[in-house]
Amino acid sequence: MSRTATAVPPQGTPLRRHGRTKIRYRTRGLAWAFMAPLLIVNLLVIGGPGLASFFYSFTDWDGLGSANFVGIANYVELFTSPAVLSAIQHNLIWTGFFLVVPMSMALLGAFLLSRVRRGQILFRVLFFIPYVLATIVSSIIWRQILSPTAGIGQALQGIGIDWFADTNFLGDPALALGSVAFINNWQWWGFLLVLFLAAMQGVDPALYEAARLDGANAFREFWHITLPGIRPTLMFLMLMTVIWSFLVFDYVFILTQGGPAGSTDVIGTVLYRTAFSENRAGYASSMAMLLTVISAAIVLGYQLLRKKLKWEV
Amino acid sequence: MSKISRRVLRSAVVAVAASSLLAGCAGAASSAETVTYWAAFNSKDTQKTFQAEFIDAFNESSDDAQVKLDVKQWSNIGSLTDTAVAAGRGADVVFSPGPSSALGFASSDRIDSLDSFAKEYEWEKVLEPWAYQASLVDGELYSIPTGYGSIVMFYNPAVFAEHGWTVPTTAAEFEKVATEAAAAGMIPVGAGNSGYQAQSEWYLSAVLNAAVGPQKLYEVLTGTAKFTDPEFVDAMTTLKSQIDKGWWGGSANSYFTNTDTDMFTGLANGKVALYMTGTWSFSSAGSYFGEAAGNDADWNWAPLPALSDNVEPGVYPLAIGTSLSINTVSKNKPAAAKFLDSLINDPAKIYNYMAETNENPAPVVVEESDFPASLDERIARLYKDIPKSSNLGYASWTFFPAATDTYLYTEFDKIITGDMSPSDYLAGLQKTFDGELAAGKVIVPFAPTAG
Repeated sequence: MSRTATAVPPQGTPLRRHGRTKIRYRTRGLAWAFMAPLLIVNLLVIGGPGLASFFYSFTDWDGLGSANFVGIANYVELFTSPAVLSAIQHNLIWTGFFLVVPMSMALLGAFLLSRVRRGQILFRVLFFIPYVLATIVSSIIWRQILSPTAGIGQALQGIGIDWFADTNFLGDPALALGSVAFINNWQWWGFLLVLFLAAMQGVDPALYEAARLDGANAFREFWHITLPGIRPTLMFLMLMTVIWSFLVFDYVFILTQGGPAGSTDVIGTVLYRTAFSENRAGYASSMAMLLTVISAAIVLGYQLLRKKLKWEV
Repeated sequence: MSKISRRVLRSAVVAVAASSLLAGCAGAASSAETVTYWAAFNSKDTQKTFQAEFIDAFNESSDDAQVKLDVKQWSNIGSLTDTAVAAGRGADVVFSPGPSSALGFASSDRIDSLDSFAKEYEWEKVLEPWAYQASLVDGELYSIPTGYGSIVMFYNPAVFAEHGWTVPTTAAEFEKVATEAAAAGMIPVGAGNSGYQAQSEWYLSAVLNAAVGPQKLYEVLTGTAKFTDPEFVDAMTTLKSQIDKGWWGGSANSYFTNTDTDMFTGLANGKVALYMTGTWSFSSAGSYFGEAAGNDADWNWAPLPALSDNVEPGVYPLAIGTSLSINTVSKNKPAAAKFLDSLINDPAKIYNYMAETNENPAPVVVEESDFPASLDERIARLYKDIPKSSNLGYASWTFFPAATDTYLYTEFDKIITGDMSPSDYLAGLQKTFDGELAAGKVIVPFAPTAG
């Protein structure tokens, strides 16, 4: 035993360290070699256009001709434009809505569904179906449902319920943003539910049993076991919800194109209109930069919070 | 790996390399003779007819140039072309949705002057003077218009007969029909922008031409008058009061959920009295009326009524929907020009194509004898009237620069909702236009008496 022990060179000798370093370098090299194609693609399709956008955001480029340097004029216009400020406000409302409504619905739905033993798969499929529908399809379906002349309002009126007879969900500036968010949520929350449900199934059942033995009710189980148990998933989805809420475009564009009277305009629709209808690609680039900064700030804030609170993700 | 398989592999590699080389040579040889052209169509039938009558016919008659048609969708042909041309690529024949867009390409040297070809093919004699003028940039021809139309007033003759109305030509007659239609529970004037926000520019172009008049619009477009002048403020104030009365689209809220389809369906079933829209609808109107739609309704059209006492009734705001140019990077410019010429040099062929598809024709000088007997009389009437008319106006999407036109239809929403006054709206419109006029982004319009 002792001979064997003395025969083995002590840990950390220069020779051993050199060998390990070599292996580490080789392993790293291999990792970089595997990542290289993806990194190159990323640099080309994200880094290149990103840098170009940054450059164009200081110019009056119309998307075709030469780009003249205009300093920070685009950024001055950006932060004083009522259309952009209103769009940012709508993005914030959208973010708040999606952090609260679909998250709550999905958490509650997943928690209840996690207790269902029979038919769980059926419900999972049913809740997930809207997510696999093409955005254009679900938008058109909902536009018909909310149509003031042929939609749910008229159908209900036909059976004597006048609640929505005069309600124009997508045509009333006071209702349009909420209506679009509602439609997007219809598609979105089922996806969240499936993710939360998968995360909940990873929580140790023994914890629930112990809690029940201690007399905990369903709410306490949810609050003290489920939520901490799925925190990595929850935090990740909240982070992505905030980022996606600032990048939202498709539902708004298909359903209202930012109207009526800009009441559903978000940065994405204003940016699109500025670049492709007004031919002001330089100014639109400054909006793209704003979106990038917002997303970066959110990710940075999350990382700082994660370190400070010592979260696992 | 055995020796045989290595030999086989080596032979295969050599064969592939050789065939690639040959294919490359063949491609290079054929590309020297091939003119590429991106186009979009309203239907498969229209595409087939165009292919047969313009592409195949050209290719059969031409020894030195062959056209290759690449079909795109209307929804993205503009952005695809912009992106490709901006990158120094794209088709030999460059599509623009009108001369204002072609001006953008010309200003950035993405398309070539067509002056030398214009002389060779005598395009100034072939095209209507107003269309030739609208296609000039700094006095040089940069695009060839291949589709034009106007904004007219559609109506259902049976509904008019039922209510005892005559087609309005003056502001007073228009108001009478609108008042009675509203009293009858109808939408007096079809309007809405659901699904396509830019639809508002159709109605605004109608109103600006019919209430302010082509002369005043010409002065604004040439920088000698302003959108803030009283004529425009009066026109927009009147329009706002009519919207508030529910004349345009039924109500402010329903305006934002009405579609073009809703309005034509309304015309057919008697729920909409009048609809002012573009003549591109000639190609689709049939689907809402008669046997195809399962009803016995029919449609007709009339020129726009005057919407103020200062404007002559029957103005035709002119619109060019498609302009074609030659890409600066094209290696086959003479062949591309030859193809462009083939699209406009035979009026009888153009109108025969229109008879088959109901698509808008190129604005070429045409004799009445060129109209085929099979052409729908209602469509023929428009294209016989316009060349004789001296009351020609300006559709915003053809004659307004991009940002001004975008402002026109996006900010108009705020007039409807009451969030902006007509004078503030027009002040913003003028400010946007001033910037584009100073930047040289406005095409020089034809004088309103031309025609």
